[in-house]
Amino acid sequence: MSGNLLHRQPILRRPDGVGGALPALTLITLFFVVPVVALLLRSVTEPVPGLQNYAILFGDGTYARVFFNTFLVATVVTAVTVIVAFPVAWMLAIMPPALGSIVFGIIILSMWTNLLTRTYAWMVLLQRTGVINRTLMDIGLISEPLPLINNLTGVTIGMVYIMLPFMILPLVGTLRAIDPMTLRAAALCGASPFNAFRRILLPLSLPGIAAGGLMVFVMSLGYFVTPTLLGGTSNMMLAAMIAQMIQSLLNWGLGSAAAFILLLVTMALYALQLRLVGAKRMTGGI
Amino acid sequence: MTEPFLSIRYLRKTFGSFVAVHDVTIDIPKGEFLTFLGPSGSGKSTTLYAVAGFQQPTSGEVLLEGRSLLSVPSHKRNIGMVFQRYTLFQHLTVAENVAFPLRVRRRPDAEVNRKVAEMLSLVRLESFGGRYPGALSGGQQQRVALARALAYDPPILLMDEPLSALDKKLREEIQAEIRRIHRETGVTILYVTHDQDEALHLSDRIALFRDGRIEQIGTGEDLYLRPASEFVASFIGNSNFLPAEHLETVNGSATIRLADGSVVSGVRIDQDFSHGQKTRLMVRPEAFRLRPGPATAGLAVEFIDTAFFGERRRVIARTAAGQEIDVRPTSDMAQAHEGIASSRQIFFDPAAAFLFPA
Repeated sequence: MSGNLLHRQPILRRPDGVGGALPALTLITLFFVVPVVALLLRSVTEPVPGLQNYAILFGDGTYARVFFNTFLVATVVTAVTVIVAFPVAWMLAIMPPALGSIVFGIIILSMWTNLLTRTYAWMVLLQRTGVINRTLMDIGLISEPLPLINNLTGVTIGMVYIMLPFMILPLVGTLRAIDPMTLRAAALCGASPFNAFRRILLPLSLPGIAAGGLMVFVMSLGYFVTPTLLGGTSNMMLAAMIAQMIQSLLNWGLGSAAAFILLLVTMALYALQLRLVGAKRMTGGI
Repeated sequence: MTEPFLSIRYLRKTFGSFVAVHDVTIDIPKGEFLTFLGPSGSGKSTTLYAVAGFQQPTSGEVLLEGRSLLSVPSHKRNIGMVFQRYTLFQHLTVAENVAFPLRVRRRPDAEVNRKVAEMLSLVRLESFGGRYPGALSGGQQQRVALARALAYDPPILLMDEPLSALDKKLREEIQAEIRRIHRETGVTILYVTHDQDEALHLSDRIALFRDGRIEQIGTGEDLYLRPASEFVASFIGNSNFLPAEHLETVNGSATIRLADGSVVSGVRIDQDFSHGQKTRLMVRPEAFRLRPGPATAGLAVEFIDTAFFGERRRVIARTAAGQEIDVRPTSDMAQAHEGIASSRQIFFDPAAAFLFPA
């Protein structure tokens, strides 16, 4: 009887080791590792074996421009998102909880609305004869419609709007952990509101800004729908270029190489984020 | 008349229909340690915040050396403050925290370094300059906060219940530090607490707040020995209130009848009572004696329980009228112990007792 019980114990133990993780590992291998390896292989074997695809991507001015443009858009979007998100996050952090949860709900709701719908909505608002240009012309502020769409401005507006929740959420968490009394203390120490912001609030909220910023930056790098609909042909981004290479030009090798570079950059940034989060843990959440 | 150093005049603060502070007026001479004491919601913190500039009063004036502070924003008031919660800048080291007020004032490096060293030695944390606040204990953090608040030699130091987050032993230790620092620097201190022991221990004067007004202001001894009202008497120290009927007053000395029918004369009073008015006689537990003295009044009681507290013994006694009272005789401790469950007389000096309207 007792022998039977002892025998059962290993079964009751939490599954650990490779055995328990096997289904998940199989899934990841099948649907993630294998395609990525296939991608890498394609980029160095098509049309002929060698690194010529990478040579083309890095050597050709047109592709270099697309890379540059991708990083430019991601950088601008991240910067604008931080600037817009910070006051919202701060307001959410110091708001009475009841009101705060309503505002929070509105932000989350916008996140749940279909991405394509929101992007088309921006098209309606931003186009030459759109609501914004009409209104501005009606009140006589401008005489010619502003070029708000099919350029960097349109992409930035549309993408910042989509990225805001991803910046606000981590930032609110960081800002809530800051005692407002700390800012009063800074004021009595003689710090002007600007100084208190620059020397105290900003450094203390840096972990949140870093976490949200990296998330927004990485997401922006591979964005397809919004830049395609709101951007112009002159500022094509990487995702759109990959789509074109594969769909229109059927150049799988070049498309794979571009996708692989994008993946590498994304993973490098993710590693950086992990290091920052790790460092944050070590200093006790500072 | 010379201008008081810090003057709070007819300060009033309302939140909607709620009056948090009711025309509070205090003059504070330079170098004084003044404590705002009172239960929570009595307006003591609101008054302090008006001095700090966190709350604009509804009306009234705060004057520092005759000049109004109210139109000056917090960061230009040049006031030091230590808060209830730890408000150190977590991303800066201890030394950088103390240096912060000097850095925002753009003082030269040499002066900053000298002052930081001086302040850290004042709060006895010389070797902690390179640490981060997260690595310090609560008591150490409050000492750093004190150093930071004093680093720029502010004329006034505000302290908002700075010890309430600390345990008893640490509290007493830092109280001693605060006293020493007040002595060494001569800074004028406004201190807020709800702890009467802390107030008595630290302050030159205490302003006792109740419902947005100052109930009484004076030294600890004033409040303890000459309470202006029953509230003051019950808030400061321990007290027994015996129901009594006022019979007559001659030359500020009253004769009363206690609930057990005994008549006591020679009670000192500051206000007028009518014949037969219901009153309450306040006697401090330590004012009771086990033996009669000159001019003492006797009270028939039964000892119910005693407890030993080291420096004195506490006795729970029941009067003939059935009221339980707290008796802490300063002498005759052994006798108090032996007297359990026996009916006896205890004695008090009517001149050290106070009569308040019921």
